[in-house]
Amino acid sequence: MSRRQYLLVALILVVVAFPPGWYPLALRLEISRWFGAAAYLALPVSKPVETVGAEIYCPPDLAGWRSAFEIDGVNVSPSKTCLSDNPYSVATFVRGANNVSDDTLLKSGLAADAVTKGEDLDGDGDPDVIHIRLEVVELNGSSAESAEPVTQYEIAPGITPGLWVFAPKYLGMARENFESRKARSGLRPPSPVIRVEQGDRVVITLENTHYMPHTIHLHGADHGFVTATGQGNDGVPLTSELPLMPGKARSYELTPRQTGTMFYHCHVQPHVHVSMGLQGMFVIEENQPNNWLQTLNVGAGFVRSSSVAIAKKYDQEYDLHYTDLDLQLGQRVQSSNDPRLVTRSMHRDYDVTDATADYFLLNGKSFPYTFRESLIVTEPDEKIKLRVLNGGSKGISFHIHGHKFNLTHKDGVGVVPENQAAQDVIWLPTAQRVDLDLSTRNDGLHSYGAGIWLFHDHQNKGTTTDGIGPGGNISAVVYQEYMGLDGWPKTQGVSYEKFFSAEYYRKIIPVWQSYAPVLFSDPGTDWLMFGRILLLALAAGMSGAVLVSGSK
Amino acid sequence: MKGCKGRVLAMLYLPVIFSVILLSCASDISHDHSGHNMMLSEDGMVMNNNAHRLPFGCDVISKQYEFVVSAGRRYAADNPGAVFGMSQHDYRVEACSRISVVFSNEDEVRHQWMVHGLPKYLYPGGMFHLEAMAGKTIQGTFIVPAGDQTYLVHCDMAQHMEKGMKGQLVVGNGSGNLWNVYNTSDTFLKSEYLPAHTSRWVLLFAVIAFILTYGLLRR
Repeated sequence: MSRRQYLLVALILVVVAFPPGWYPLALRLEISRWFGAAAYLALPVSKPVETVGAEIYCPPDLAGWRSAFEIDGVNVSPSKTCLSDNPYSVATFVRGANNVSDDTLLKSGLAADAVTKGEDLDGDGDPDVIHIRLEVVELNGSSAESAEPVTQYEIAPGITPGLWVFAPKYLGMARENFESRKARSGLRPPSPVIRVEQGDRVVITLENTHYMPHTIHLHGADHGFVTATGQGNDGVPLTSELPLMPGKARSYELTPRQTGTMFYHCHVQPHVHVSMGLQGMFVIEENQPNNWLQTLNVGAGFVRSSSVAIAKKYDQEYDLHYTDLDLQLGQRVQSSNDPRLVTRSMHRDYDVTDATADYFLLNGKSFPYTFRESLIVTEPDEKIKLRVLNGGSKGISFHIHGHKFNLTHKDGVGVVPENQAAQDVIWLPTAQRVDLDLSTRNDGLHSYGAGIWLFHDHQNKGTTTDGIGPGGNISAVVYQEYMGLDGWPKTQGVSYEKFFSAEYYRKIIPVWQSYAPVLFSDPGTDWLMFGRILLLALAAGMSGAVLVSGSK
Repeated sequence: MKGCKGRVLAMLYLPVIFSVILLSCASDISHDHSGHNMMLSEDGMVMNNNAHRLPFGCDVISKQYEFVVSAGRRYAADNPGAVFGMSQHDYRVEACSRISVVFSNEDEVRHQWMVHGLPKYLYPGGMFHLEAMAGKTIQGTFIVPAGDQTYLVHCDMAQHMEKGMKGQLVVGNGSGNLWNVYNTSDTFLKSEYLPAHTSRWVLLFAVIAFILTYGLLRR
């Protein structure tokens, strides 16, 4: 064929294939004035996304950990939520690993020196010499053998960001078992809540099991700048000590004189290490006789064995630790197995001034996993103590539906009664702690009555998981009459199936598909339009070739 | 035909008999709820120690080995990109041999020496496990099965295997080397260690090659 013939074919293709909708609007109106509208052509029909199937909302409690226990003389309260802490660990944290039976210690999984308790210095019936050992654990880290993360921990279905925690000293494998990639129970964010008594002689030994250097800085908890031996005790590499290298151990000492809800975190490259999860709540309780404290609260949340002072004043106590994670930061530990490259990526390439948080966690989980373990379950007329810590990179706007709470302490210090007005939103800047009194008395002020009442950061992003809602740090206050026996709330005809699918948080499932698949699924594809465009491309290619060959 | 039936029956009953023996053996040592035989001490833990029970297919102990292994940061010093290491990563033994491991931890944190994939009727979970506390030495014994097989040896603390503490136990002729064993096998997924501006060098070389080839062809 000649050049002219090729051009003619291309022109015919353009005329036939050119989508009518692409003509100028004025021209289309002009044409329709003569011939009327074009024939009906249905838009692509809805195409619901096939889902693999949801996880069980509330896995059965096979180990029987939710019940009330009396273990080695420790009364462990029943846990009303679906998932609960290992009661043998709770008992070991109360008694000390050196004071429980071998059987309890084995069932706790803890090392014999994880938490040890010694002398009763003031003779009031409880130990006052407390030694805590913490290790550093990387979750969802990399390996040079597989693209899948190792020592896996999901913050929400299918979401496994790289993160670091201080962890209690367990014995044995970091995985559930050899066949699994999942982290063993107890290795999780947030770093455990540490609970000691005013006047206790506390030693915290950091055993750096991680491949990067770390320290512990006690934020707000009364401690000396140096220890008795002159070793740095503030955990700050700028002023008092060098970062603690991998494979090394260092002890921090304190005898706190004041009570309150405090904070501890790593202070090595803190703009990265604190965000990665090396942060926990530090609680100093009133000195009381026979005050056996649950030294560590793994995963924070409901305190299954409260102190004497709290048990006198309150029906229940909850530790609420809010954090956020930057997806792009967490990916950096997964991007290489070489610590030199990871260090460069995290501490030189990553620019925290350009960073934004993507995941919002309450006690180390995002919704819907928060509903498995971070619900506040109550009867009417209870008095509940909430200790709230914001360890996130930005402030949070803490809000509870259906209730007004009273602020009793800020950064561990009591607030004068005239300033304790009831409120339903409280702003917590980064690192702030507040103690709140939550009353479930149905008087229209403190509580509006029984129900399932959400509580969450009221800033929009806080209720999402990388922009997908509902997610983030949403949890709920659930009155017992709305609670099922298995620890799952009786929501009013609401299915949680899609929220327990990894595809939902990976942005694959349309948010309202399950309610109205015809109306709100993604539309199918317009193959006719696609065909027209391909024909135009053919025409363009042909004319291009003709032009180029002509220019020779 | 009859003999065959007897054999099938024996095969069915053997595991039952074996587990009864195992249970009675285990009753005098402390063990946890998951069925592992754990011996705890201040120095650490030994799990599934076995000096006498022979695996199927072994009539006698073929040979006796003792490995004295140290672990810690020091043993990663010559291994670029590693943080932790062991004094020996590659272990070669005869089938049906008895192996004693004396495991010393030179760091100030825990370390483990674990073998995986052993027969579960002798080693619950398929593992033999030594765990030494900071600065401590712990020792244990196990008997390897008949048959050529390469077993994983590692420390299962988070990221310790990934950062250097990976080894292998080659029984008989083994079943090939495992990946990522220091001084023995290559890294399976390697990071890139290229100089800056590699793409410019690639472009430069391609242009040079083009010019030279063009010149040669025109001659």
